[in-house]
Amino acid sequence: MIIKGGIVYDPANGIYGDEMDLFIDQGRMAMQAKGEEIDARGLLVMPGGVDAHSHIAGKKVNTGRIMRPDDARLGTEPRTAVCRPSTGYTVPNCYAMGYRYARMGYTTAFEAATPILEARHTHEELEEIPIIDKGALTLFGNNWQVMECVRDKDLTKLAAYVAWGLRAARGYGVKIVNPGGGEAWGFGGNVKSQNDIVPNFDVTPAEIIVGLAKANEMLNLPHSIHLHFNNLGKPGNYTTAIETLDLLKDIKPSRMRQVVHVAHMQFSAYGGTSWRDFESKASVIADYFNCHNHATMDMGQLLFGSATTMTADAPLEYGNARLTHNKWSNHDIELEESSGVVPMTYFRKMLVNAVQWAIGLELALLVKDPWKVLMTTDHPNGSPFVNYPEVITLLMSKPKRDAEMATLHEQVPKRTTLAGIERELDWTDIAIMTRAAPARVLGLDDKGHLGPGADGDVSIYNLRPLEVDTSLDHVLVKKALANAKYTIKGGVVVSKEGQILATPPGRTFWVDAAVPQVDTDRLMIDLEEKFAKYYSIQIANYAVQDAYLPHAKVIRAGLLIEPLPEVA
Amino acid sequence: MSEAIMIKDAVCSFCGCLCDDINVEVEDGKIQRVRHACRLGSSKIMGHARIESPMIRKNGVLVAVSFQEAYDKAAKILLAAAKPLLYGWASTSCEAAKKGILLAEEVGGVLDSTATVCHGPSVIGIEEKGLPGATLGQVKNRADTIVFWGCNPAEAHPRHSLRYSSNSCGKFTQEGREGRKIIVVDVRETRTSKNADKFIRISPGSDYEVISALRMLVAGKGDSVLDEVGGVLKADLADIAATLKAAKFGAVFFGLGITHSRGRYKNIDNALSLVAELNSHSKFVIMPMRGHYNVGGIGQVLAWSSGYPMSVDFTRGGPYFNPGETSACDLLARRDVDAALIIAADAVSNFPRATAKALAGIPVIQIDPYENPTTLLSDVVIPCAIAGVEVEGTAYRMDGLALRLRKMVDSSFPSDEDILMGILESVHKQRQMTANEGA
Amino acid sequence: MRTITITPKKAFRISVEAENISPDKFASLNIEQIKSLTVWQGNRKIMLSDLFTVEGDDAPAKAEETTIRLAGDFFQVKRIGEGMTAGVVEVQGSIGMHAGNNMLGGLLSIAGNADDWLAREMRGGKVVVMGNAGNYVGGGYRGEKCGMRGGEIEVKGSAGAYLGEHLCGGSIRIGGDAGDFAGAANQGGTIFIGGSTYLPGAEMSKGTITVKGEAKVLPSFLKTEIVEVDGQAFQKYAGDLVDSGKGELLVGMGSS
Repeated sequence: MIIKGGIVYDPANGIYGDEMDLFIDQGRMAMQAKGEEIDARGLLVMPGGVDAHSHIAGKKVNTGRIMRPDDARLGTEPRTAVCRPSTGYTVPNCYAMGYRYARMGYTTAFEAATPILEARHTHEELEEIPIIDKGALTLFGNNWQVMECVRDKDLTKLAAYVAWGLRAARGYGVKIVNPGGGEAWGFGGNVKSQNDIVPNFDVTPAEIIVGLAKANEMLNLPHSIHLHFNNLGKPGNYTTAIETLDLLKDIKPSRMRQVVHVAHMQFSAYGGTSWRDFESKASVIADYFNCHNHATMDMGQLLFGSATTMTADAPLEYGNARLTHNKWSNHDIELEESSGVVPMTYFRKMLVNAVQWAIGLELALLVKDPWKVLMTTDHPNGSPFVNYPEVITLLMSKPKRDAEMATLHEQVPKRTTLAGIERELDWTDIAIMTRAAPARVLGLDDKGHLGPGADGDVSIYNLRPLEVDTSLDHVLVKKALANAKYTIKGGVVVSKEGQILATPPGRTFWVDAAVPQVDTDRLMIDLEEKFAKYYSIQIANYAVQDAYLPHAKVIRAGLLIEPLPEVA
Repeated sequence: MSEAIMIKDAVCSFCGCLCDDINVEVEDGKIQRVRHACRLGSSKIMGHARIESPMIRKNGVLVAVSFQEAYDKAAKILLAAAKPLLYGWASTSCEAAKKGILLAEEVGGVLDSTATVCHGPSVIGIEEKGLPGATLGQVKNRADTIVFWGCNPAEAHPRHSLRYSSNSCGKFTQEGREGRKIIVVDVRETRTSKNADKFIRISPGSDYEVISALRMLVAGKGDSVLDEVGGVLKADLADIAATLKAAKFGAVFFGLGITHSRGRYKNIDNALSLVAELNSHSKFVIMPMRGHYNVGGIGQVLAWSSGYPMSVDFTRGGPYFNPGETSACDLLARRDVDAALIIAADAVSNFPRATAKALAGIPVIQIDPYENPTTLLSDVVIPCAIAGVEVEGTAYRMDGLALRLRKMVDSSFPSDEDILMGILESVHKQRQMTANEGA
Repeated sequence: MRTITITPKKAFRISVEAENISPDKFASLNIEQIKSLTVWQGNRKIMLSDLFTVEGDDAPAKAEETTIRLAGDFFQVKRIGEGMTAGVVEVQGSIGMHAGNNMLGGLLSIAGNADDWLAREMRGGKVVVMGNAGNYVGGGYRGEKCGMRGGEIEVKGSAGAYLGEHLCGGSIRIGGDAGDFAGAANQGGTIFIGGSTYLPGAEMSKGTITVKGEAKVLPSFLKTEIVEVDGQAFQKYAGDLVDSGKGELLVGMGSS
C-alpha cells in the first residue's frame, strides 16, 4: 500500500508536518511497497492512535453494561454485512468498542485494570473486540502475596510473583490502584494516606508502591508501574500525589522510559479541604512534572454529560454512590482486589464538575513536554472515548475553551488557572499525546510511529494541516477527527469516512518475564498454601489458558538473558 | 484394557458453584468414578442414556436422519420464521453461546436464557440498584455473618456451604461454622434453615415488606415500624438488624424463594438497597444463588456481545431488550414467536404450563444430549456432546468468575458449537440459493 | 382537520412494530407516501400498506391538524404514537404495547384496552383509555431514573402492576384498581387510584399518591393525619422513609 502526498506527523521519527509518501508492506511500514494507492494529498496523516488507559474489557465493564440498559439503548446500530450490532454510549458492547476506536483513527487500546483471578473474563472480551490491538494491565496493589513479599522485604520473590502473575493473567504490565485501600475495603475500610498501615498486613501503601516499582525495573518490563494514587477523587489529594511521586524519583528505570505512569492525573490534582473550598492544584502538579523526569501521566479528562465510573478503587465508588444517590455495584476479588461501578452525570453548572473539567486541560497545557502527558478520558470514567475529538479541540483552541468556560459555573476562573492559559497545542503535540507518547510510555516499539518496521497503522483525516486554523476552525477539526477519512490497521483499510470496511481481529499483547527458577520455587511454596487455604479455586485452574488468546503477541522481558522456552 | 487415567481438578458442570476440585477416573474412554463431587454433580458427570441420532418429525413421528439433514431442516425453520426464539443456554459453554448469538443475529431472532425463569428478576433489580458483590473466596475468608434468603443450598447447591459459605474456613474465618452467625429467611423450614443460628419464617409474599422494615431498623428509624411485619415480630427483626450491623463482613445469598414470590424484582431491588445501606455500618455483599452451571455465562456473553444480559430481541438488526416483552415466557404466553430453538434447557418442564403449551403450536428445534419433555414436541432433535464432560469451554460461576471446563472423555457427537455452526452454514447456503433463484 | 383511517387487513399472529403511525410522521406525507412508511413484523421490514389499509385526505397537513383513526384491533401493534408532539390518535379498539411512548403532546385516545408500557417516558400531552391498561402505565425504561415526566394519563378501568414506576412528573388517574407497587419510586408525579392497590409508593421520594379504595401500606410509611377530600376521609402517610422520602400517600377510610 502507498499513501501518497500526506502531511505527515510522526514525532517519534522527527517528522513534523512534512509532505511525504508512506509505504506499507505485509502489514508493516516499509521504505517501499506496491499495491493499493491511497490519495492523501495535503491531508493530515498520523500513526494510528494509541490509548494507554481505557476500561474496555472485563468484569467491571460488563457489570457496567448489565446495570445500565439505559445506556446500552443509546448507541444502538443494527448489524450490517460487515459489522455486528453496536449498543451503548459509556459502556458500549465489544463490537462497538472496536468500530468506534477505528472510526476515530485509533488502532490500539489497553484495558487499564484486570485482577489476575478474573483475567480469563477480560481476555474473552478483548478477543471479541474487533480491529484494534490491545492488552490488559494487571492489578497487583492489594494482593496478599505482594504485600507479604513487601513486608518481608523479599524483592526477588516479589519479582518472581509479578512475573508469575503477569503470565497467569496474560497481562501486560503492573497496575496499582489505591494500594492497601482495596484490602482494607475487604472489611469496609480504606487507607487515608500512603503511610497508613494496611490492616492485617503490616505494610504501608508507600512500601507497596516502591516495592512493585523496584520489582518492575528488576524485571525490565516494557511498561513502568501504572499507578492510581491513594485518596484519588478527594479534595486536597494533590499532596498525596506529590509525596507518592517523590518516593519513586530515585529509582533507576531499566529502559528508556518513566519509572511511574500516573493514571488519570486529573482525579488526583485537587486542592481544598472539602468540596466547599475545592480548587485546582493542577499548576502545582504540572510544576512537579516540569521539574522531574521519572513520571508521566494521562489526563483523565472529564467532559459534561453521561459517564460510568468504574475502578478497582472500591471505597471511592461507595462514596460516589452515597454522594450521588446512584446505583452501585461492588466486586471484591478474594486475596487480590476490590472494585466498583457507579453511573455518573457531570454538570456544567456544578462547581466541582466544572473545576474537574478545567483541571484536566490545565494539566495538559501546563506540562511543557507533551511526551509526559497522554490524552485520555479514563474511559468511561471522565467521559466515553468517543469524545476524544472534543478533548483534542479544547487543547488546540483557546477560543473554544473560552466559549465553553462561559457556559460553566462562574467560579471556575477563580478556582483554576485555565482562563489565563494561552497555550494552544499543535498537530505535533497532538500526535505525541495520542500516538507517540502512549506507545513509548507502554513500551510498544512498533506502535505510535511510522518508521520502517513499525505496525502499518495509519490514520488520515479530512483536514489540511497547512491550511486549517485549528484555533478558530475547531468545529471543523472536531468533525474531521470523529471520523477519519481512512483508518489503516496492519495495512488494511478498516474504516473510511466513518464506515467500517473490514474487521480483522486485533492482537493481544502480553509480557512474559523470566525469573530464576530458584525464586519461583520459593514463591510456589507460598502460593500453594494460599490456594490450599484461601482461594476458592484450585491453582491448576487459575492461569489463563492460551485458548483465550488466539491472537497473542508475547513480549519477552525478565531477569534471564538466555532464550526462554516458547510459551505453548 | 487400557490404564485408568485420573483427571484432577476438573470443573463440575452441574450447578452455579462450579466446584473445580473434581477428580475423575477414566478407563477405556469411559468415566468410571467421580470423586469430591456431590451426588448431583456426580450423576451429571457420569451421565445416562442419550439421544442416539438426529431426528426429524415426519408424519408425527421422529425419524432418524443425518446431522446434515437435521441442520438443513433447522435452518429452514429458522429462515421461515418472522420471530424465532433461541432459548436455553444455561447448561452449555460460553463458546456455544457466542455461536448462538451470531445465529440469532443472522436469522433475526430473540435470544433468551433460562434466567427468564430463575434469576431474571434479580437482573432487573440489579438494573435498578447495581450489585454489591464479591467472589465467593472473599466470603469464605472474611464473612462472619451470612444470610440465606429464599434459598436452600443444602439441597440445591450441596457443596456451597463447605467450599464457600457457612462451613468454610479462610484467613479471617479459621473457626469456620463456629465463628459465624447464620440467618435463614424463608417461608418454610428447610435443611438449610436447620443449620442456622436464627431462622426467620416469613409469610409467603411478604419479602418486600420485611426488607423495608429491616431497612428502617438498620437506619435507626424503627419507631414507626409496626409490631409485626410479614408474620415476624418486630423484636425479632430488630435483633436481625442489630446482628447485620454488627457484622465484620456479611453476605446475603438469595434464591428463587424471593425472586419468584410476590414482588419479584422489587424484592431484589429492595434487598440490594438494604445491603448498600448496611455498608455504612459494616461490610456487606449480596449475590444470587445461580442454578444451572452456566446461566451466569450466557448473561456475561450476551452482555458484552449485545449490551444486555438476557431477553435480547435481534429481529430488527439492532439489539432491543425489555424483559416482560422480549422474555421467552412473555413472548410465548402472547404467542408472539413462530419458531423455537431450545438448547441446553428443558423448556417444557421449566416453563409455566400455558407457555409450554404455546411451544406445541410452532416448529421446535431441540439441541440436547438427553431426551426430555421438550423432545416430545420437537420437530427437529439434534443430540450433542456434553459440554464440560466431553467438550471443553468456559463457564461463569455464580459470582461471575470464569473457569475453564475440561474435556474428560471423547464423544462421537458434535459439540453445541459445531451444531450451531452447522445450522448457520446451512442458513447461509439456503439464503444464497434463494438469492440465486430470485436473480 | 385531516383525518386518516388505518385498518388492519387481517389479524396479526406476530406482533407489529409501527412507530411510524404518528401525526408527526404523517404530517408532510400524502396517502401514497404514508402507505410506503416502514413497519416491522418480527424480522420482516415491510410497508404500512402491506398490513393495513390507509384511507383519508391526501393533502399533507400539520401534525396538530392531523387525526389518525385506528379502526379494528390494534392490540398486536406496538409503539403507535411514539414521540408524537401534536394531533390526535383515536383508537377505536384496543392498542398494543408502548402506545404513546415518549409522547410530547397531542391526544391519544383509546376506546378499548391498552397493553403494557402505555405512555412510557411520556413528557406531555394526554392519553385517555376507556377500558383497562396493562403494567407499567407511565413507567420508564429498564434502568432509567425517570419514567413519565409530564402530561396526563387517564384510565377509566383498572391498571396493571408498577403503575407510574419512577414517575418524575405529570399525573395519572386510574378509575378502578391498580396492581402491585403503584407509584414505586415516585419522584414528583401525582397518581390517583379510584379502587385498591398493594404496596403503593415504595421508595417514593416526592409526589402524591391517592388511593380511594384499600391499600396494603408498607411498614416504612408513617401515619400522619386524617384528611377529608371530596367528602371522603383519607388516612395520610409520609414516606417512603427507607430513603427519607417526602412523598404523600392517602388511603381511603371508606365512604363517610
